[in-house]
Amino acid sequence: MAELTRDQVLQKLRKNEKLDRADLRGLDLSKMPMTGALLARADLEGANLETAVLRKANLKNANLREAYLAGCDLSEANLENADLEGAKLDRANLAGANLARANLEGASLTGANLSGAQLAFAQVSSANLTGADLRNAILTHANFEESTLGAVKAIEADLRAANLRGATLTKADLTGAKVAGLIGTGRPLGEVLVAWLDTSEAGDGSGRITNGEIPGLLSGLRGPMEATAPASRRYFGLGDVLKNATLDFEPGARVQIDSLFEKCIINLGADTELVVGEAGVLADCTISGAGSITVNGQFFERQSPGIVGPRELVVTKTGAVVASVVQNEALTRFAFERDSRLRLKILKSDAKGG
Amino acid sequence: MSQPTSPATSQATSHPTAATPHPPTHGTGPTKRTLIEEGTELKGTLTSTCPIVVQGRVEGDLSGPSVEVTESGVLSGKARVTELRSRGEIAGEFDAKVVELSGRVRDKTIIRAESLEVKLRRDEGRIEMVFGDCELAVGDAPDKAKAVAAARANGQAKVKPVAPAAAPALAALPAAAATAPPATDG
Repeated sequence: MAELTRDQVLQKLRKNEKLDRADLRGLDLSKMPMTGALLARADLEGANLETAVLRKANLKNANLREAYLAGCDLSEANLENADLEGAKLDRANLAGANLARANLEGASLTGANLSGAQLAFAQVSSANLTGADLRNAILTHANFEESTLGAVKAIEADLRAANLRGATLTKADLTGAKVAGLIGTGRPLGEVLVAWLDTSEAGDGSGRITNGEIPGLLSGLRGPMEATAPASRRYFGLGDVLKNATLDFEPGARVQIDSLFEKCIINLGADTELVVGEAGVLADCTISGAGSITVNGQFFERQSPGIVGPRELVVTKTGAVVASVVQNEALTRFAFERDSRLRLKILKSDAKGG
Repeated sequence: MSQPTSPATSQATSHPTAATPHPPTHGTGPTKRTLIEEGTELKGTLTSTCPIVVQGRVEGDLSGPSVEVTESGVLSGKARVTELRSRGEIAGEFDAKVVELSGRVRDKTIIRAESLEVKLRRDEGRIEMVFGDCELAVGDAPDKAKAVAAARANGQAKVKPVAPAAAPALAALPAAAATAPPATDG
């Protein structure tokens, strides 16, 4: 039983009195203006704080287990080491809040605003963050095991050494996230939006990657080509989905795609070998550069021409290509196996006469 | 069919020939072919019930069970055949069940086929097959929506729960354990 009533809490707050270590369990504090409240180590287990204003409040080490905080304004609040296990924080505003080492296991944070929040070493396992805003959030060493991160916006979030094992990232936007030391999901990614990632240890943008390492890095899975390990090999595994990405492959690289690519731009260096595996689908994509392309799967161009300047284009019996192909200046070498399916418009490069 | 443009085209009729580029397709005897020999130029419409072999130059409409354009042959116009095999030069509009190509496809050519084969000979320096500006419609039209849906289904089929033993606890993370600052009291 709480030691204070709602009115008593309100009076103390008006007098700027401390509520540190106060027993406020199960209290209805909904809609209460509590900006800057001093609630360190307070026990708010099961309390109702729906749409309460706790902006810049000090809730360090507070017990908020199973508290109802939907729509609550906790922006810039100090929740360091707070216990929020099972708390309901849907649509809560946690922008700029300090949640370092906080326990958010099983918490519901759907649609919450965590932009710029500090969650280093936080325990966020089995939590639901669907649609949450994690832009520029500090998530280093945070544990997101088995959590739902669908449609989160984690643009330029710091995920270094975070643990995503078992987490789902469907439709998550992780563009620009810092990922050195990240523990991957251990499962195919599904559809994610990642234009690039920063793999640098320092998280200073010096390890920017935009190519085939992204799915393997986020999932922690390695494909058969990577298993044989040459650095110039890239593999995109079955079940991964890559969208709106620009991929630049260095000259001589060997690339295999068994994934779904949507609206991606692929730039091939000289003599780069690109193989679209039987399960691979490149939808609304563009491939440019003087590489060798073998299509066992399916390619659909985004806009004409969808394939520009390949040295070779081979479509095997399981392959399908719908595209305009501008040939290499030295003329593209084509090969089509029986049973391949084609809707091709072949064009000579501008350098060649008609 | 229009008048031949050269006396040599008088041979452009169905007749048996021992000089067929391919072995007989049935029976043990020689196959009747319509042969347009090298040096012969034909303009107009050619319809045949026999396989047609173009060693010379044909310009016009052509129909028959099959047409073969040899290295020296040029076929320009429209053709509706069951099989088209060309090692020479073709231009125009072609409808066939089976097409095999090497040689050259000139600009403004459209090829519609159930099956197309173009071989790549990697061991030779020269390009075996040269395409001008052309269009190829081969086999059933690929269905993008279906392909994307199937690829997505692949992803879902591959998602399996991770074995609990494989999931390390946070405390077991070496980096976390080694570098975590101690929690402070409020």
